[in-house]
Parts: sequence; structure tokens; C-alpha cells
Amino acid sequence: MAEIRPFCMPKWGIEMTEGTIATWMVKEGDAFTKGDMLCLIETAKITNEVEAEYDAVARRILVPAGGDAEPVGALLAVFADAAASDAEIDAFIADFRPAETGVAARSSDSESPSAPAHTSASARPGRIATNRPISPEALKLAERENIDISQIDGSGRNGRITLQDIQQAIRPTAKPVFKGSAQLVEDNAGFFASPLARRIAALHGIDLAGIKGTGPRGRISRADVQALVSPVPAARPVAAEFALNPNLPEIKPFDRIRKIIAQRLTDAKQQIPHFYLRISVRVDELLALRKTANLVLNCKASINDYLVKATALALVRHPDVNIQVHGNELHHFPHADISIAVASPKGLVTPIVRQADRMRIDQIAAETRRLIDKAQAGRLGLEDMNGGTFSISNLGMMGIEQFDAIINPPQGAILAVGTASRQPVETAHGGIGFETRLALTLSVDHRAIDGAGGAAFLGTLKQLIEEPEALFV
Amino acid sequence: MAKMMYRDAVVSTIAAEMERDPNVVVLGEDVVGGMGTAGGPEAIGGIWSTSTGLYGRFGQDRVIDTPISESAIVGAAAGLALAGKRPVAELMFADFIGVSLDQIWNQIGKFRYMFGGKTKCPVVIRMAYGAGFNAAAQHSQSVHQILTGMPGLKVVMPSTPADVAGLLRQAIRDDDPVIFLEHKALYATTGEVPDDPDFVIPFGHARLTRAGEDVTIVSSGLLLGFCEAVADRLANEGIGCDVIDLRTTSPLDEEAILDSVEVTGRLVVVDEAPPRCGLAADLCALAANKAFSSLKAPPQAVTPPHTPIPFARELESAYLPSAEKIEAAVRKVLNWR
Repeated sequence: MAEIRPFCMPKWGIEMTEGTIATWMVKEGDAFTKGDMLCLIETAKITNEVEAEYDAVARRILVPAGGDAEPVGALLAVFADAAASDAEIDAFIADFRPAETGVAARSSDSESPSAPAHTSASARPGRIATNRPISPEALKLAERENIDISQIDGSGRNGRITLQDIQQAIRPTAKPVFKGSAQLVEDNAGFFASPLARRIAALHGIDLAGIKGTGPRGRISRADVQALVSPVPAARPVAAEFALNPNLPEIKPFDRIRKIIAQRLTDAKQQIPHFYLRISVRVDELLALRKTANLVLNCKASINDYLVKATALALVRHPDVNIQVHGNELHHFPHADISIAVASPKGLVTPIVRQADRMRIDQIAAETRRLIDKAQAGRLGLEDMNGGTFSISNLGMMGIEQFDAIINPPQGAILAVGTASRQPVETAHGGIGFETRLALTLSVDHRAIDGAGGAAFLGTLKQLIEEPEALFV
Repeated sequence: MAKMMYRDAVVSTIAAEMERDPNVVVLGEDVVGGMGTAGGPEAIGGIWSTSTGLYGRFGQDRVIDTPISESAIVGAAAGLALAGKRPVAELMFADFIGVSLDQIWNQIGKFRYMFGGKTKCPVVIRMAYGAGFNAAAQHSQSVHQILTGMPGLKVVMPSTPADVAGLLRQAIRDDDPVIFLEHKALYATTGEVPDDPDFVIPFGHARLTRAGEDVTIVSSGLLLGFCEAVADRLANEGIGCDVIDLRTTSPLDEEAILDSVEVTGRLVVVDEAPPRCGLAADLCALAANKAFSSLKAPPQAVTPPHTPIPFARELESAYLPSAEKIEAAVRKVLNWR
């Protein structure tokens, strides 16, 4: 009996629900050995290579590269040795049931929900099988955009689904603003006037009775009423010179990264009850110490690196903030894995400085440099971004005074860092002095962390920043 | 003001005009209502009761029963008009204009033009039209779109007793041929009618029956009432509808429609005739041609399907535009993405 094995969409990390084949590195019929690269799979967070775990032949590739996202557990390919017959392979595919059917079952492209996700090579992702009348262009667009056509009423002849129907389904729901009904001016009152003329008359308090109409069939038309409206525009010649152009938008659909950012942040902002704690810290000592410490350690650690270190130390002292929230479970961590928000060319990414509490400043600086370089090159891997117990988002270098960040689930809190600025303060003897201060805002998931817990954490953080020698203990 | 039924507005206006002008005569099938029966003239009354009492008041020279021949009725009316009378001809069912189409289309509608304006043909041809009576494919049709497409005719579709009085008086006094379409389902509706014996509504003036700035609904005849019901329902949601009663489809009050569409940016046309080459399509095209930049959504037409009118009651009600279908079309343009 030949050994036939399925190759399914892997699950990398607790949040991964689907992935996309970016590239196949084997073709149907290729033999490979353990350790060979099989394909590149793109997830919501990363693109990763998949290595062969055993020697076999790629007998059947069911999901082509560059298609739509497949759910975790979906059958992607079938590997076997050369001894297996094609009939055996076909039977294996027909009998295959994804391990996680709850995730893998696709409602849109399968006529009977009980059918396996992919029963044959022809059932490619995005392919819509339907008996409903639909125009070829509409079908193409629906397949490209992965639209569930069972939800669409066809507006074409005999209920045929048209391209416009699909375009309507793709666009976001309209939110029209209504002006409501208006007072009806009695008709047959001895004069005839167009609805617009009546509206303008009502707006300007003009009595239409007795006005001679110049419109069709002697009717009072818009022009007749406008002639009676007191001429205001003459006093404003500037308005005449400024001609409005049609200010038309250039419409671009969300790309993959943007879609993911939109989905994750919407989920976070909608599902997590955020509250915000603000504090201002003095950084004069930290700035002074940084010069010396960087010299001693022979590194170029930024203020942000020191903040990562301070935050990590504060987190280990406040384990109730160093958490992840998973459904009804709280996961506490012994060490602080700190996600730092980085603006990459592709969009916002959050690589992680792992166990920052155990690192020296120069190690943190090297690690953040490495991660930022990787992010700029678009080469961050799963190991760089998966997990994290806390996030820091710093817009201080862009002059932002202070802001509120959205929590990066499943984490329980995020620190938003503003710019350092010189501010007048009352000195010990009632005079005025200047200090360099930094505004911090902690966004907290109230399901997991209470106000007092968040405040205590911020208090510790403030102390660590204002007395930075403690960072080197 | 007097409260009366739509059909009584027809009779009283004809009677008043016959009183005023001795040239006004009435002719049609069974307009006397019982001639030749045991009870004698007026014993039974006409099928729609739209000539009740006229024979008794004005006699056989001015109220003329005709054979069952639409070509004879319309042909005789054309001759009477050319000879200086003002005939008011009645066709029991608008569906039967087919047999009198040459008289209407090639004769009545063309005389004034072909004789260089030296003659006139002041005929009024009244007809009962419309579905909703389980009367099947040959007795339920709306023919206004055929007649509106014929230059030389004026086409009137009153929706209330007051409009019947004002528009029918205008039709009788008008020097051009007028097709006067009365919806069967409206005959028993009531409304206030002005007492003024000279109350006329000039042709080509649409009536705004509901005012609002979010969507324009254009209709006429029976379906206007459905549109008003929809507008009232939507007003409770803060959605304002301009409801326009066309009154006459020829001449057409383009300005009323375009002015309203320029304000609302959305148009729904509701018509009882089938969709192809119809009034609803014509008005949607009007908005697309002349108010394109104001449109926020494609104009929608609510019409029956392109089929003969079914006999079965369930099928007939599925065939006709309903308040639900109108509301769906209105919501479609309101929620256009």
C-alpha cells in the first residue's frame, strides 16, 4: 500500500485562520526530499517558507499560487510516493475531510455545505459554481472579489445578475443623509409654479400669487422666482472667479496589508473596552544618562530603546499588565515581549523585542535596529511578530504631543509615546524652571486590567524613567 | 366645494358643459343606459355610470347611443367635430382603441396639422382603462403610452375627482383632440370638487401631492395613491418624497420633474403600462438626458412585467405595481452605493 499524505494549510499561531499560497517551489510530479522548500505561504502577518518534512512526490497541487486565502486545514496538495496510482490519489482527495472543519468549510463556493472543501482539481478557490443566471463579466468580478452571489437579487432580465449588481455588492453600504418631507404649498391656488420655484419662494418668503410666469404654459418657473430674490452675489466678485473643479476621488481598493490592518483594528476597537491613562514624565535625567551610557556601552541606543527597557522592567514588576487575553482566559507571562509599532513601506507592522526585561540597553538597541531594518525591507518573519505581551507606539519623533493608541490584540495594553518638550514647572522654592517632559498614554483593556492596576504600572514606569539609574541595576 | 365620486365628477362636468355650450354632444355604447330594454331609456344606466341622467336632460339629439363599433363612434365624433360640434365620445374599454386607431391616429390627430391650422377637431375621447378587476388581458390595459407617442393628441390621466372636473372641462373647451383616460378603480373614489363652473386645469401642469427633498416619485392615475402611501410611510422615517402627479402625459410637464430631480437627485417612475418603450422608461431617460449631473442613483421604473395582463387574481396582483414594489424601488435609489 502506497503512502498518500495530505498537505494542508498550516496553523501558525493562535490567531491564524487562513493563508495564501504565494509561490509553489515544486510542480506536480516533482520529487522532493526532506528539507526541500515546498512553497511560500502568506498569512495575515507574515510570509513564510514551508519545508518538506519527508521525502515524497508532489502528486497533485490543488490550490494554485496567488489565489484567494484558504482556511487553516484546507487541502492544498497531495504528496505520495511514485507507487501510488492516480486512482488512489483521486480516491484520497474525494475522501479527504479537513481536520478543522469548523474553520475550513467554505460557505460561498460550495453548493452543498457538507461537501469537503475541495473535491477535485477543478474546484479552485474563488470559482463560483451556480445555476443562477449571471452575466460573464459579473461572474468574473464576483469570483475575483469572492462575493457570495446567493445574497444578491439579480436586477437584469428575468432576475439575471448583472455587473452592476456585483459592483453594488462590493461597495460599502450607503449611509444617505435625508432632508425629510417639506411643507406642501397648495396647488390650484390660482397660479401654477414648478416645485423648485415653490421651494425657492418658500425659502425666501416670496408670495407667488400675482407673479407672471414665463415658464412653459405660463407657469412660474425657477428663473421667475430667482429674479425676485434680492441680489446678494453682486457684492462678492471673488466667488465668480473661483470655479469649482469636480473633486473626484481616485478609488483604490484596500491591498492585503491594509485589509488586515483595517480588520484587526476594527475588531480591537469594537470588541475591547478601552480606557486611557495619561501621565507626563520628566526625561532630563534619562537624556543626560543616555549620553554616558551609550558611550560606555558603545552603542547608539535611542530614547525609545530606553523606554522599551523601562517598560519591560515595569511590566515584570506588574505581571497583571504583562498579559494576553484569550476569550475568557488571561495569560500571564514571566518576561516582557514588547511589540514596537513600525511604519514600513507596506503599512504598520509590530515586530517584537523578546524578553526585553532581560536585555541590556545595547542589546535592545541592536535588536530594534535589526527588526526595523527587516521591516523596512518587508522581510519580517512569523518569529518576529507572533505573540507579544505589550506594545509601544512612539510618534514623538514626528512632533506629536500625545495620542491614544488602539490595543494590539491579544495583548492587554499599549503605550502611546509623544514628543519630549521643554516645559515650565514650579521649582522647589516657588520659582519657575524648565524641564523636558514626555506625555505617555496607556490604553488598557478593561476586561483584563483595572484602573488601579494600570495606574500602578504607570507609576513604576514614571519612576524608572525619572530615575534611570535603575535601568542598569 | 362639494364632495363627490370620481364618476360623478365626470357626469356633472359633462352636464355643466352641455348646459353651457349647445354644441357639446355625447356618444358611445349604451350611454343612454337601457335603450331597447323593457324599462326603456336610462332604466339600467351605462356600464360605468358616467352618463347617468344626461339623456333625460339633453335628449336623443345630444346623447347618442351607438352600435358596438369603436371605429363608428370615433369616426362619427371626428365628423361631428369637423362640422363644428364638440363631441364627447366614450369607449367602454380603452383596450378597443385598436379598431378605431386609423380614426384617432391618422385622422383626428392630423387634421389641424395637414390643413395648415385652418380647421380644428375638438374631440374628447373618454375611455375607461386599467387593471385590478380580474378582467383579463383584453379588458384591463393601460394604453396611454401608445397614444402619448402620437403627436397631435393630448392625453389626460386624472387621479382625483377635482382633477376630473378641471381637466375634463379643459378637454371639452380645448380646440385640439383630447384622449381622456379614466381609471376603472378610481370611479368610486371620492374627493372635494370646486363649485366654480369655470374651474379648469390647463394641460401640462403636473401636481405636487407630497413635498420632500430626498426622492422624486412620478406617477399618474390609480398608482398615484400607492405612491402617496409610500411617501407618507417614509416621512415617518425622516425621508422626504416629492410625489408628482403628471395629470397629462401629453403635453408633459418636464419642468416639474426635472426641477424636483435637481433637488432630490433620485427618481422613481411608477406606471401601469408594460415597461418596453413606455412612459416610465421615457421619464427615466428624460432625467438621464437633462438632469444627469444631479442624479445620485440610476432612475428606477416600477412597471408591470412585459407580459399580457393575467386573469387569475393572484397573478394579476403579482403583475401590478404595488406599494411594496414602489417602496423597494425608492429604497434602492436611496441606498444606492
